[in-house]
Amino acid sequence: MSKVLISLTINGETHELAAEPHRSLLSVLRDDLGLTGTKQNCLEGECGVCSVLLDGKVVNACLLLAVQCEGSRIVTIEGLEDPDGGLHPLQTAFMQHGAVQCGYCIPGMIIAAKGLLDGDPRPTDAVIREAIAGVLCRCTGYQKIVAAVAAAADQMSQKRDGQ
Amino acid sequence: MAAHYGCGARYLAGGTDLIIHMRRGKLAPEHLIDIRPLAELSGISVGPTVEIGALATHASVEHHPAFQGRLRALVDGARVVGGPQIRNMATVGGNIANASPAADVVPVLMALDATVSCLSATGLRSLPLDGLILGPGRTGLAHGELLTGIAFAMPPEGVAVSFLKAGRRRAMEIASVNIAVRAGLDGDGRLCDLWVVLGAVAPCPVRATSAEAMLLDQRPSDDLLRAAACAAARDCAPIDDVRASAEYRRHLVERLLPRVVRAALASAQAGDPR
Repeated sequence: MSKVLISLTINGETHELAAEPHRSLLSVLRDDLGLTGTKQNCLEGECGVCSVLLDGKVVNACLLLAVQCEGSRIVTIEGLEDPDGGLHPLQTAFMQHGAVQCGYCIPGMIIAAKGLLDGDPRPTDAVIREAIAGVLCRCTGYQKIVAAVAAAADQMSQKRDGQ
Repeated sequence: MAAHYGCGARYLAGGTDLIIHMRRGKLAPEHLIDIRPLAELSGISVGPTVEIGALATHASVEHHPAFQGRLRALVDGARVVGGPQIRNMATVGGNIANASPAADVVPVLMALDATVSCLSATGLRSLPLDGLILGPGRTGLAHGELLTGIAFAMPPEGVAVSFLKAGRRRAMEIASVNIAVRAGLDGDGRLCDLWVVLGAVAPCPVRATSAEAMLLDQRPSDDLLRAAACAAARDCAPIDDVRASAEYRRHLVERLLPRVVRAALASAQAGDPR
Protein backbone atom coordinates (compact mmCIF):
# COMPACT_ATOMS: atom_id res chain seq x y z
CA MET A 1 0.00 0.00 0.00
CA SER A 2 1.48 3.39 -0.81
CA LYS A 3 2.02 6.07 1.75
CA VAL A 4 0.02 9.25 1.99
CA LEU A 5 1.06 12.60 3.44
CA ILE A 6 -0.47 13.24 6.82
CA SER A 7 -0.30 16.37 8.90
CA LEU A 8 -0.85 15.78 12.63
CA THR A 9 -1.04 18.38 15.37
CA ILE A 10 0.34 16.82 18.53
CA ASN A 11 0.93 18.68 21.77
CA GLY A 12 0.62 21.94 19.90
CA GLU A 13 3.18 21.09 17.22
CA THR A 14 2.39 20.16 13.64
CA HIS A 15 4.15 17.12 12.20
CA GLU A 16 4.16 16.31 8.49
CA LEU A 17 4.82 12.69 7.72
CA ALA A 18 4.19 9.97 5.18
CA ALA A 19 2.46 6.80 6.31
CA GLU A 20 0.28 4.06 4.88
CA PRO A 21 -3.45 4.70 5.41
CA HIS A 22 -3.87 1.59 7.54
CA ARG A 23 -1.42 2.77 10.21
CA SER A 24 -2.98 3.40 13.60
CA LEU A 25 -2.46 6.68 15.37
CA LEU A 26 -0.75 4.72 18.14
CA SER A 27 1.76 3.20 15.76
CA VAL A 28 2.54 6.54 14.13
CA LEU A 29 2.99 8.25 17.50
CA ARG A 30 5.35 5.60 18.80
CA ASP A 31 7.21 4.35 15.73
CA ASP A 32 7.31 7.39 13.44
CA LEU A 33 7.37 10.24 15.92
CA GLY A 34 9.19 8.58 18.81
CA LEU A 35 6.46 9.57 21.26
CA THR A 36 6.63 6.36 23.24
CA GLY A 37 4.95 7.75 26.34
CA THR A 38 1.68 6.42 24.92
CA LYS A 39 1.85 2.69 25.50
CA GLN A 40 0.94 -0.30 23.38
CA ASN A 41 -0.74 -3.41 24.73
CA CYS A 42 -4.00 -5.03 23.70
CA LEU A 43 -4.55 -3.13 20.44
CA GLU A 44 -8.26 -3.78 20.91
CA GLY A 45 -9.47 -0.82 22.91
CA GLU A 46 -9.81 -2.94 26.04
CA CYS A 47 -6.92 -1.80 28.24
CA GLY A 48 -6.63 1.95 27.69
CA VAL A 49 -2.84 2.27 27.95
CA CYS A 50 -2.90 3.87 24.50
CA SER A 51 -5.21 6.67 25.60
CA VAL A 52 -4.67 10.11 24.12
CA LEU A 53 -6.82 13.23 24.01
CA LEU A 54 -8.37 13.93 20.60
CA ASP A 55 -9.90 17.40 20.53
CA GLY A 56 -10.09 17.21 24.30
CA LYS A 57 -11.76 13.79 24.49
CA VAL A 58 -10.04 10.66 25.73
CA VAL A 59 -9.84 7.98 23.04
CA ASN A 60 -7.90 4.79 22.26
CA ALA A 61 -5.11 5.61 19.81
CA CYS A 62 -4.97 1.93 18.79
CA LEU A 63 -8.43 2.15 17.24
CA LEU A 64 -7.84 5.33 15.26
CA LEU A 65 -6.17 5.49 11.90
CA ALA A 66 -3.56 8.23 11.73
CA VAL A 67 -5.15 9.57 8.55
CA GLN A 68 -8.40 10.16 10.43
CA CYS A 69 -6.68 12.53 12.84
CA GLU A 70 -5.72 15.28 10.43
CA GLY A 71 -7.20 18.55 11.53
CA SER A 72 -7.62 17.39 15.13
CA ARG A 73 -5.67 18.44 18.22
CA ILE A 74 -3.94 15.49 19.81
CA VAL A 75 -2.49 15.60 23.30
CA THR A 76 -0.24 12.81 24.57
CA ILE A 77 1.37 12.34 27.96
CA GLU A 78 4.44 14.15 26.66
CA GLY A 79 2.26 17.21 26.22
CA LEU A 80 1.33 17.62 29.86
CA GLU A 81 3.23 20.42 31.35
CA ASP A 82 2.51 23.05 33.91
CA PRO A 83 2.45 26.51 32.30
CA ASP A 84 5.42 27.26 34.60
CA GLY A 85 7.41 24.50 32.86
CA GLY A 86 7.29 21.94 35.64
CA LEU A 87 5.28 18.79 35.97
CA HIS A 88 1.53 18.85 35.58
CA PRO A 89 -0.28 18.67 38.94
CA LEU A 90 -1.61 15.24 37.92
CA GLN A 91 1.93 13.97 37.42
CA THR A 92 3.06 15.37 40.77
CA ALA A 93 0.03 13.97 42.58
CA PHE A 94 0.55 10.50 41.11
CA MET A 95 4.10 10.47 42.45
CA GLN A 96 3.19 11.93 45.82
CA HIS A 97 0.34 9.50 46.39
CA GLY A 98 2.16 6.31 45.47
CA ALA A 99 -0.16 5.81 42.53
CA VAL A 100 2.61 4.43 40.29
CA GLN A 101 3.91 0.87 40.54
CA CYS A 102 5.07 -0.66 37.28
CA GLY A 103 4.04 2.51 35.53
CA TYR A 104 2.65 1.00 32.36
CA CYS A 105 -0.95 2.19 32.77
CA ILE A 106 0.02 5.56 34.12
CA PRO A 107 0.14 7.63 30.92
CA GLY A 108 -3.31 6.28 30.08
CA MET A 109 -4.57 7.02 33.57
CA ILE A 110 -3.21 10.55 33.55
CA ILE A 111 -4.59 11.30 30.10
CA ALA A 112 -8.00 9.96 31.13
CA ALA A 113 -7.84 12.03 34.30
CA LYS A 114 -6.85 15.14 32.37
CA GLY A 115 -9.76 14.61 30.02
CA LEU A 116 -12.02 14.44 33.06
CA LEU A 117 -10.62 17.45 34.92
CA ASP A 118 -10.66 19.65 31.85
CA GLY A 119 -14.44 19.28 31.80
CA ASP A 120 -15.24 18.64 35.46
CA PRO A 121 -12.77 20.37 37.80
CA ARG A 122 -14.25 18.98 41.03
CA PRO A 123 -15.29 15.40 40.39
CA THR A 124 -16.41 13.06 43.14
CA ASP A 125 -14.51 9.82 43.67
CA ALA A 126 -17.31 7.95 41.91
CA VAL A 127 -16.97 10.16 38.86
CA ILE A 128 -13.19 9.73 38.89
CA ARG A 129 -13.61 5.96 38.96
CA GLU A 130 -15.92 6.10 35.96
CA ALA A 131 -13.52 8.35 34.09
CA ILE A 132 -10.64 5.90 34.51
CA ALA A 133 -12.82 2.83 33.89
CA GLY A 134 -11.33 2.48 30.42
CA VAL A 135 -7.74 2.02 31.68
CA LEU A 136 -6.81 -1.24 33.38
CA CYS A 137 -4.21 -1.43 36.15
CA ARG A 138 -2.85 -4.75 37.38
CA CYS A 139 -0.68 -3.36 40.14
CA THR A 140 -2.31 -0.77 42.30
CA GLY A 141 -5.93 -1.73 42.91
CA TYR A 142 -6.81 1.80 41.72
CA GLN A 143 -7.22 3.29 45.20
CA LYS A 144 -4.16 5.53 45.11
CA ILE A 145 -4.79 6.48 41.50
CA VAL A 146 -8.22 7.79 42.47
CA ALA A 147 -6.73 9.61 45.47
CA ALA A 148 -4.07 11.17 43.25
CA VAL A 149 -6.63 12.42 40.74
CA ALA A 150 -8.76 13.89 43.54
CA ALA A 151 -5.71 15.56 45.06
CA ALA A 152 -4.67 17.00 41.70
CA ALA A 153 -8.21 18.32 41.19
CA ASP A 154 -8.07 20.05 44.58
CA GLN A 155 -4.65 21.48 43.87
CA MET A 156 -5.66 22.77 40.45
CA SER A 157 -8.88 24.28 41.80
CA GLN A 158 -7.05 26.03 44.61
CA LYS A 159 -4.51 27.39 42.21
CA ARG A 160 -7.28 28.64 39.93
CA ASP A 161 -9.26 30.21 42.75
CA GLY A 162 -6.13 31.81 44.12
CA GLN A 163 -5.55 33.75 40.92
CA MET B 1 -18.16 6.16 -3.51
CA ALA B 2 -19.62 3.03 -1.94
CA ALA B 3 -21.29 2.16 -5.23
CA HIS B 4 -17.95 2.54 -6.99
CA TYR B 5 -16.04 0.26 -4.64
CA GLY B 6 -18.86 -2.25 -4.19
CA CYS B 7 -18.46 -5.08 -1.74
CA GLY B 8 -14.80 -4.28 -1.14
CA ALA B 9 -15.64 -1.17 0.84
CA ARG B 10 -16.92 -0.59 4.37
CA TYR B 11 -17.93 2.58 6.11
CA LEU B 12 -15.67 3.67 8.94
CA ALA B 13 -17.33 5.65 11.70
CA GLY B 14 -15.96 5.33 15.26
CA GLY B 15 -13.95 2.27 14.30
CA THR B 16 -14.30 0.68 17.72
CA ASP B 17 -15.68 -2.53 16.23
CA LEU B 18 -14.50 -2.33 12.61
CA ILE B 19 -10.81 -1.76 13.35
CA ILE B 20 -10.83 -4.65 15.81
CA HIS B 21 -12.55 -6.97 13.31
CA MET B 22 -9.96 -6.01 10.72
CA ARG B 23 -7.04 -6.49 13.07
CA ARG B 24 -8.34 -9.99 13.95
CA GLY B 25 -8.85 -10.84 10.30
CA LYS B 26 -12.60 -11.21 10.67
CA LEU B 27 -13.20 -8.50 8.09
CA ALA B 28 -10.84 -7.48 5.31
CA PRO B 29 -12.32 -4.63 3.30
CA GLU B 30 -10.13 -3.30 0.54
CA HIS B 31 -11.32 0.22 1.15
CA LEU B 32 -12.60 2.14 4.11
CA ILE B 33 -14.84 5.12 3.56
CA ASP B 34 -14.36 7.48 6.47
CA ILE B 35 -17.76 8.96 7.25
CA ARG B 36 -16.80 10.72 10.47
CA PRO B 37 -16.44 14.07 8.67
CA LEU B 38 -20.18 13.98 7.89
CA ALA B 39 -20.99 16.27 10.79
CA GLU B 40 -24.61 16.60 9.71
CA LEU B 41 -25.15 12.98 10.79
CA SER B 42 -23.90 13.44 14.34
CA GLY B 43 -26.65 15.57 15.83
CA ILE B 44 -29.46 14.76 18.23
CA SER B 45 -32.76 16.62 18.12
CA VAL B 46 -35.51 16.19 20.67
CA GLY B 47 -39.14 17.04 20.08
CA PRO B 48 -42.36 15.07 19.55
CA THR B 49 -40.02 13.00 17.36
CA VAL B 50 -36.52 12.33 18.61
CA GLU B 51 -33.84 12.02 15.95
CA ILE B 52 -30.43 10.63 16.66
CA GLY B 53 -27.92 10.95 13.84
CA ALA B 54 -26.13 7.75 12.96
CA LEU B 55 -22.80 9.35 13.83
CA ALA B 56 -23.92 10.51 17.27
CA THR B 57 -21.44 9.03 19.71
CA HIS B 58 -22.51 7.06 22.76
CA ALA B 59 -20.96 9.86 24.82
CA SER B 60 -23.23 12.45 23.20
CA VAL B 61 -26.28 10.31 23.98
CA GLU B 62 -25.03 9.70 27.53
CA HIS B 63 -24.64 13.41 28.21
CA HIS B 64 -27.67 14.75 26.37
CA PRO B 65 -29.63 16.97 28.75
CA ALA B 66 -33.00 15.97 27.31
CA PHE B 67 -32.56 12.27 27.94
CA GLN B 68 -33.60 12.34 31.54
CA GLY B 69 -36.98 11.40 32.89
CA ARG B 70 -38.85 8.89 30.75
CA LEU B 71 -36.03 8.56 28.20
CA ARG B 72 -33.37 7.96 30.83
CA ALA B 73 -33.02 4.39 29.49
CA LEU B 74 -31.12 5.86 26.52
CA VAL B 75 -28.52 7.24 28.91
CA ASP B 76 -28.50 3.99 30.88
CA GLY B 77 -27.87 2.05 27.69
CA ALA B 78 -25.24 4.39 26.29
CA ARG B 79 -23.21 4.79 29.47
CA VAL B 80 -22.57 1.08 29.93
CA VAL B 81 -20.95 0.62 26.53
CA GLY B 82 -17.22 0.02 26.96
CA GLY B 83 -15.48 2.85 28.74
CA PRO B 84 -15.08 6.59 28.16
CA GLN B 85 -12.57 6.11 25.35
CA ILE B 86 -14.93 3.84 23.45
CA ARG B 87 -17.96 6.02 24.07
CA ASN B 88 -16.17 9.09 22.73
CA MET B 89 -15.73 7.38 19.36
CA ALA B 90 -18.34 4.64 19.03
CA THR B 91 -21.47 5.75 17.19
CA VAL B 92 -25.07 4.64 17.60
CA GLY B 93 -25.32 3.86 13.89
CA GLY B 94 -22.13 1.84 14.02
CA ASN B 95 -23.44 -0.10 16.99
CA ILE B 96 -26.59 -1.01 15.05
CA ALA B 97 -24.67 -1.91 11.89
CA ASN B 98 -22.18 -4.02 13.87
CA ALA B 99 -25.19 -6.09 14.99
CA SER B 100 -23.84 -7.62 18.14
CA PRO B 101 -26.49 -9.74 19.87
CA ALA B 102 -25.44 -7.99 23.08
CA ALA B 103 -25.74 -4.42 21.81
CA ASP B 104 -26.81 -2.18 24.66
CA VAL B 105 -28.58 0.81 23.14
CA VAL B 106 -30.37 -1.32 20.51
CA PRO B 107 -32.91 -2.91 22.89
CA VAL B 108 -33.77 0.54 24.21
CA LEU B 109 -34.28 1.89 20.70
CA MET B 110 -36.35 -1.15 19.80
CA ALA B 111 -38.55 -0.60 22.85
CA LEU B 112 -38.98 2.97 21.61
CA ASP B 113 -40.22 1.54 18.29
CA ALA B 114 -37.43 3.33 16.47
CA THR B 115 -37.04 3.48 12.72
CA VAL B 116 -33.73 3.85 10.95
CA SER B 117 -33.13 5.81 7.77
CA CYS B 118 -30.68 4.47 5.24
CA LEU B 119 -29.21 6.04 2.15
CA SER B 120 -28.07 4.21 -0.93
CA ALA B 121 -27.34 5.06 -4.54
CA THR B 122 -31.00 4.39 -5.27
CA GLY B 123 -32.37 6.67 -2.59
CA LEU B 124 -33.47 6.99 1.02
CA ARG B 125 -35.56 4.47 2.88
CA SER B 126 -36.90 4.06 6.40
CA LEU B 127 -37.34 0.78 8.13
CA PRO B 128 -38.15 -0.37 11.66
CA LEU B 129 -35.17 -1.20 13.81
CA ASP B 130 -37.14 -4.22 15.07
CA GLY B 131 -36.30 -6.80 12.44
CA LEU B 132 -33.33 -4.95 10.91
CA ILE B 133 -30.79 -6.98 12.85
CA LEU B 134 -30.81 -10.54 11.57
CA GLY B 135 -28.05 -12.25 13.52
CA PRO B 136 -24.52 -11.71 14.79
CA GLY B 137 -22.89 -9.23 12.43
CA ARG B 138 -25.78 -9.32 9.96
CA THR B 139 -28.36 -6.69 9.20
CA GLY B 140 -30.94 -6.09 6.51
CA LEU B 141 -28.85 -3.21 5.13
CA ALA B 142 -27.82 -3.68 1.50
CA HIS B 143 -24.15 -3.41 0.46
CA GLY B 144 -23.18 0.20 0.34
CA GLU B 145 -26.30 1.32 2.18
CA LEU B 146 -25.45 3.94 4.77
CA LEU B 147 -27.42 4.20 7.97
CA THR B 148 -28.02 7.92 8.40
CA GLY B 149 -30.22 8.24 11.46
CA ILE B 150 -32.51 6.72 14.03
CA ALA B 151 -35.86 8.25 14.95
CA PHE B 152 -38.69 7.51 17.32
CA ALA B 153 -41.83 9.21 18.55
CA MET B 154 -41.67 10.49 22.09
CA PRO B 155 -43.67 7.95 24.14
CA PRO B 156 -47.04 9.31 25.28
CA GLU B 157 -47.24 10.74 28.78
CA GLY B 158 -47.52 7.95 31.34
CA VAL B 159 -45.27 5.62 29.33
CA ALA B 160 -41.53 5.20 29.91
CA VAL B 161 -38.66 2.90 29.02
CA SER B 162 -36.14 1.39 31.40
CA PHE B 163 -32.98 -0.60 30.80
CA LEU B 164 -30.76 -2.93 32.75
CA LYS B 165 -27.50 -4.57 31.77
CA ALA B 166 -26.24 -7.60 33.67
CA GLY B 167 -22.55 -8.39 33.49
CA ARG B 168 -19.55 -9.34 35.51
CA ARG B 169 -18.24 -5.81 35.86
CA ARG B 170 -19.50 -2.27 35.55
CA ALA B 171 -17.39 -1.10 32.62
CA MET B 172 -15.55 -2.56 29.64
CA GLU B 173 -18.08 -5.36 29.61
CA ILE B 174 -20.30 -7.10 27.12
CA ALA B 175 -23.73 -7.92 28.55
CA SER B 176 -24.51 -11.37 29.83
CA VAL B 177 -28.12 -10.27 29.57
CA ASN B 178 -29.67 -6.92 28.89
CA ILE B 179 -33.32 -5.98 29.15
CA ALA B 180 -35.30 -2.99 27.93
CA VAL B 181 -38.94 -2.54 28.92
CA ARG B 182 -41.39 0.05 27.67
CA ALA B 183 -44.57 0.25 29.76
CA GLY B 184 -47.26 2.46 31.16
CA LEU B 185 -50.45 2.04 33.14
CA ASP B 186 -53.84 2.94 31.74
CA GLY B 187 -56.58 4.67 33.73
CA ASP B 188 -57.53 1.29 35.19
CA GLY B 189 -54.04 0.51 36.45
CA ARG B 190 -53.46 -2.03 33.70
CA LEU B 191 -50.23 -2.37 31.72
CA CYS B 192 -50.34 -0.75 28.30
CA ASP B 193 -47.96 0.19 25.48
CA LEU B 194 -45.78 -2.72 26.42
CA TRP B 195 -42.50 -3.85 24.87
CA VAL B 196 -40.07 -6.30 26.45
CA VAL B 197 -36.77 -6.55 24.57
CA LEU B 198 -34.04 -8.96 25.61
CA GLY B 199 -30.43 -8.75 24.49
CA ALA B 200 -27.50 -11.17 24.64
CA VAL B 201 -29.87 -14.15 24.87
CA ALA B 202 -30.48 -14.81 21.18
CA PRO B 203 -28.69 -14.24 17.85
CA CYS B 204 -30.09 -10.70 17.92
CA PRO B 205 -32.09 -8.59 20.40
CA VAL B 206 -35.55 -10.11 20.62
CA ARG B 207 -38.97 -9.22 21.86
CA ALA B 208 -40.20 -11.50 24.61
CA THR B 209 -43.58 -11.92 22.98
CA SER B 210 -45.13 -14.43 25.35
CA ALA B 211 -44.10 -12.29 28.33
CA GLU B 212 -45.63 -9.26 26.61
CA ALA B 213 -48.86 -11.17 25.95
CA MET B 214 -49.09 -12.20 29.61
CA LEU B 215 -48.54 -8.67 30.85
CA LEU B 216 -50.58 -6.56 28.46
CA ASP B 217 -53.86 -5.27 29.91
CA GLN B 218 -53.13 -6.88 33.27
CA ARG B 219 -52.43 -5.24 36.59
CA PRO B 220 -48.73 -5.61 37.46
CA SER B 221 -48.83 -7.82 40.55
CA ASP B 222 -45.64 -9.44 41.81
CA ASP B 223 -47.03 -12.87 40.89
CA LEU B 224 -47.80 -11.78 37.36
CA LEU B 225 -44.38 -10.22 36.87
CA ARG B 226 -42.69 -13.39 38.12
CA ALA B 227 -44.79 -15.53 35.78
CA ALA B 228 -44.06 -13.25 32.85
CA ALA B 229 -40.37 -13.35 33.66
CA CYS B 230 -40.50 -17.17 33.53
CA ALA B 231 -42.17 -16.90 30.14
CA ALA B 232 -39.48 -14.48 28.98
CA ALA B 233 -36.78 -16.89 30.11
CA ARG B 234 -38.41 -19.49 27.87
CA ASP B 235 -38.75 -16.94 24.99
CA CYS B 236 -35.04 -16.52 24.64
CA ALA B 237 -32.43 -18.79 23.10
CA PRO B 238 -29.18 -18.08 24.95
CA ILE B 239 -25.90 -19.87 24.38
CA ASP B 240 -23.06 -20.83 26.67
CA ASP B 241 -20.07 -18.56 26.17
CA VAL B 242 -17.13 -17.18 28.14
CA ARG B 243 -19.33 -14.68 29.92
CA ALA B 244 -22.19 -16.87 31.08
CA SER B 245 -23.92 -20.19 30.56
CA ALA B 246 -27.28 -20.39 28.82
CA GLU B 247 -28.80 -21.59 32.09
CA TYR B 248 -27.47 -18.60 34.00
CA ARG B 249 -28.73 -16.22 31.33
CA ARG B 250 -32.24 -17.64 31.61
CA HIS B 251 -31.92 -17.28 35.36
CA LEU B 252 -30.89 -13.64 34.98
CA VAL B 253 -33.87 -12.91 32.72
CA GLU B 254 -36.21 -14.53 35.20
CA ARG B 255 -34.85 -12.62 38.15
CA LEU B 256 -34.30 -9.25 36.51
CA LEU B 257 -37.34 -8.73 34.30
CA PRO B 258 -39.74 -7.81 37.14
CA ARG B 259 -37.23 -5.21 38.30
CA VAL B 260 -37.04 -3.61 34.87
CA VAL B 261 -40.83 -3.54 34.49
CA ARG B 262 -41.18 -1.87 37.89
CA ALA B 263 -38.48 0.66 36.95
CA ALA B 264 -40.30 1.55 33.72
CA LEU B 265 -43.54 2.09 35.62
CA ALA B 266 -41.79 4.21 38.25
CA SER B 267 -40.17 6.30 35.55
CA ALA B 268 -43.51 6.67 33.77
CA GLN B 269 -45.11 7.86 36.96
CA ALA B 270 -42.25 10.26 37.81
CA GLY B 271 -42.58 11.85 34.38
CA ASP B 272 -40.14 14.28 32.85
CA PRO B 273 -38.22 17.03 34.63
CA ARG B 274 -39.64 20.48 34.02
